Amino acid sequence: MIEDKNWLKIENVTKLYGYGLLGLKKFKALDNISLNIDLGKPRIAVIAGETGSGKTTLLRIIMGVVKPDIGKVLYKGYDIHKLKGSASKWYRKEVQPIFQDPYEAFNPLRRIDTYFYDTTRNICGIKNRNEAIYRIDEALRFVGLSLDRISGKYPHEFSGGELQRISIARALLTSPRILLADEPVSMLDATLRVGILNILKDLKEKLNMIIIYVTHDLSTAYYIGDDISIIYRGTLVEHGPISKVYQEPRHPYTNALLNSILEPDPSLREKYPAIKPSSLELKEFLIMGCRYANRCPRAKEICWHTLPPYVDVDGVSVRCWKYLDYKIDYSS
Amino acid sequence: MSLDILTVNNLDGGYEVFIGNRRVFVHAVDDVSLTLHDNEVLGVAGESGCGKSTLAKMVYGGIIPPLVVRSGSISLVTRGGEVLEMNKLDIDTIRRKIWWIEISYIPQNSMNVLNPLKRIKDQFIGVFKYHNIEMDKNEIIKYLKDTLTTLSLPPEVINAYPHQLSGGMRQRVVIALSLLFNPRIVLADEPTTAVDVVTQRVILSLLKEWRENNKSSFILISHDMSVHAYMDNRIAIMYAGNIVELGNTFDVFREPLHPYTKALIESLIRKGDKSIRKGLAGQPPDLINPPPGCRFHPRCPYAINICRAKEPPTTSLDKDRYVRCWLYANPR
Ligand SMILES: Nc1ncnc2c1ncn2[C@@H]1O[C@H](COP(=O)(O)OP(=O)(O)O)[C@@H](O)[C@H]1O
Ligand SMILES: Nc1ncnc2c1ncn2[C@@H]1O[C@H](COP(=O)(O)OP(=O)(O)O)[C@@H](O)[C@H]1O
Ligand SMILES: [Mg+2]
Ligand SMILES: [Mg+2]
Repeated sequence: MIEDKNWLKIENVTKLYGYGLLGLKKFKALDNISLNIDLGKPRIAVIAGETGSGKTTLLRIIMGVVKPDIGKVLYKGYDIHKLKGSASKWYRKEVQPIFQDPYEAFNPLRRIDTYFYDTTRNICGIKNRNEAIYRIDEALRFVGLSLDRISGKYPHEFSGGELQRISIARALLTSPRILLADEPVSMLDATLRVGILNILKDLKEKLNMIIIYVTHDLSTAYYIGDDISIIYRGTLVEHGPISKVYQEPRHPYTNALLNSILEPDPSLREKYPAIKPSSLELKEFLIMGCRYANRCPRAKEICWHTLPPYVDVDGVSVRCWKYLDYKIDYSS
Repeated sequence: MSLDILTVNNLDGGYEVFIGNRRVFVHAVDDVSLTLHDNEVLGVAGESGCGKSTLAKMVYGGIIPPLVVRSGSISLVTRGGEVLEMNKLDIDTIRRKIWWIEISYIPQNSMNVLNPLKRIKDQFIGVFKYHNIEMDKNEIIKYLKDTLTTLSLPPEVINAYPHQLSGGMRQRVVIALSLLFNPRIVLADEPTTAVDVVTQRVILSLLKEWRENNKSSFILISHDMSVHAYMDNRIAIMYAGNIVELGNTFDVFREPLHPYTKALIESLIRKGDKSIRKGLAGQPPDLINPPPGCRFHPRCPYAINICRAKEPPTTSLDKDRYVRCWLYANPR
């Protein structure tokens, strides 16, 4: 289909994982998730939720390394889990990941520059050494480093912030359309976070890339994001432009995420509202209705046994029974 | 007048390590003096690699090679009013009389310290055995459930194995374990750095409540200034092994004096702020070979000639407020 050419479409994706002694019983780590991303519009799409919400599982499905049990991911009209040979290699160039722990992304015994030479040769297919050097240096300069700075060095010779820049530079080598960034700053010192986030912003603004930024921290999400999808225990609970979601969170869970942010101002101490801690993750995944029912201050009977439909509330799609009198949003 | 329950005087030490066959010294704690008052939270802030964890290990008395203490003293006033010179005690006495009972330690990355082969309750029972506490098993279980509820953990957690719990839940278990014997001092090293913002809020507010009820004191280590703004009565800023500023939390946040303290606060991304920020460029120095003069001078926008040549003196401003920076040194 012509119209599909410009989209990354995540269609009704459900992922089951086993639990219990033998893993024979299943829970839905992702429950019927749909998201569309327009490849023609450079943007930072945020996926937010606390640990154990299914964020990494969703990214791994988009990367193609995990297969959904139901649903599919279409990139420019191709089902990415069915790509083979050169088509699959092409997709790997188009969509590049960077990970949460920069120290785990690199083998401590391997020189950093070898990763770059390998990627240019094996994935980009550049055989000419000078051309490779030029490409590598260009990518490193974009993140504030250079080939001279990294040549001959091992991972332990860099700080976490530098390694994260190096990961981004390596991802850039293939000129990807989409960068999947899984909590890229959560392991870094607060002083280093801004630097990395500014680079992600530059990727969008100067290279017209699309970044899927995964985080549990809505203040960093707001700093760089354009739109946001909030997920909780495998379900999408709110989706819309970040400015709207931020100014007036619709879902009680979004509210909890926002209220969790601590600010560098001691006079606010007494002003943070109370938040109910989560119970056992699995118990929440197994709730038939809204997965947040267990922690929600306004949960009613219906919340426990029936998952609410998507409702459009002033341009934001939200899944909460408190909006039942709004019209149901069939587009999501 | 608040009572000082722990006094650290001119503490100096670090790691004796080999690079190839050259013996070097990593000077991680350099002439540190601090006091901890009764019933307060003293924060220790600073980026990774500034010596915070090393200071914690030294205060706890868990000194194993390559860590060495070169000079200085640590004295502790026990609950019974006895004054103990910690660095003159042998390890057995420290273990028997101090650990868990007087001082509890929550090490960095502690969510991974639980024994994977033991149920949570057996890990706790192990601690009772360690202290030769005679208690009926049912009594212990009841006591455990009470302790777990201080961290809002569901009672069924006691029968779980560590891998059945999420990271955030394990972190809460480790913290509960550290509070088991109502210690007078809790040394918490980055207790929420590895968890998401929601779990962080929950853990910190539960810790706060526990401390206020028990009138214990905390030494709280974190690189995140927002955590300090939320928790601390007083805050010490550590850079490259030195305490560079110390004061009442409200004063320090209202008017940070040291350029490093200013940078730590300003580099934070704040809630609801999209304006482009600059992080703090560079990183803390290599402590094998730190820069001469003020160790912050290579990164300091206000550095003048003397900063590059001579170590700044500690300038006392008020009671309990001092800064170590040439900008504030009294002319003589
Ligand atoms: N390979 C797997 N097998 C079984 N359970 C898994 C697997 N991967 C993740 N999970 C579970 O799925 C849930 C979602 O995990 P994840 O996608 O990593 O969430 P997040 O990235 O939001 O923290 C968690 O409960 C996690 O334990
Ligand atoms: N076991 C060790 N051997 C050698 N050097 C170490 C060891 N542990 C820490 N260091 C070094 O000591 C310095 C201070 O580290 P640390 O106390 O962990 O700082 P922080 O807790 O502020 O991040 C760093 O330069 C670190 O590399
Ligand atoms: Mg994850
Ligand atoms: Mg540390």
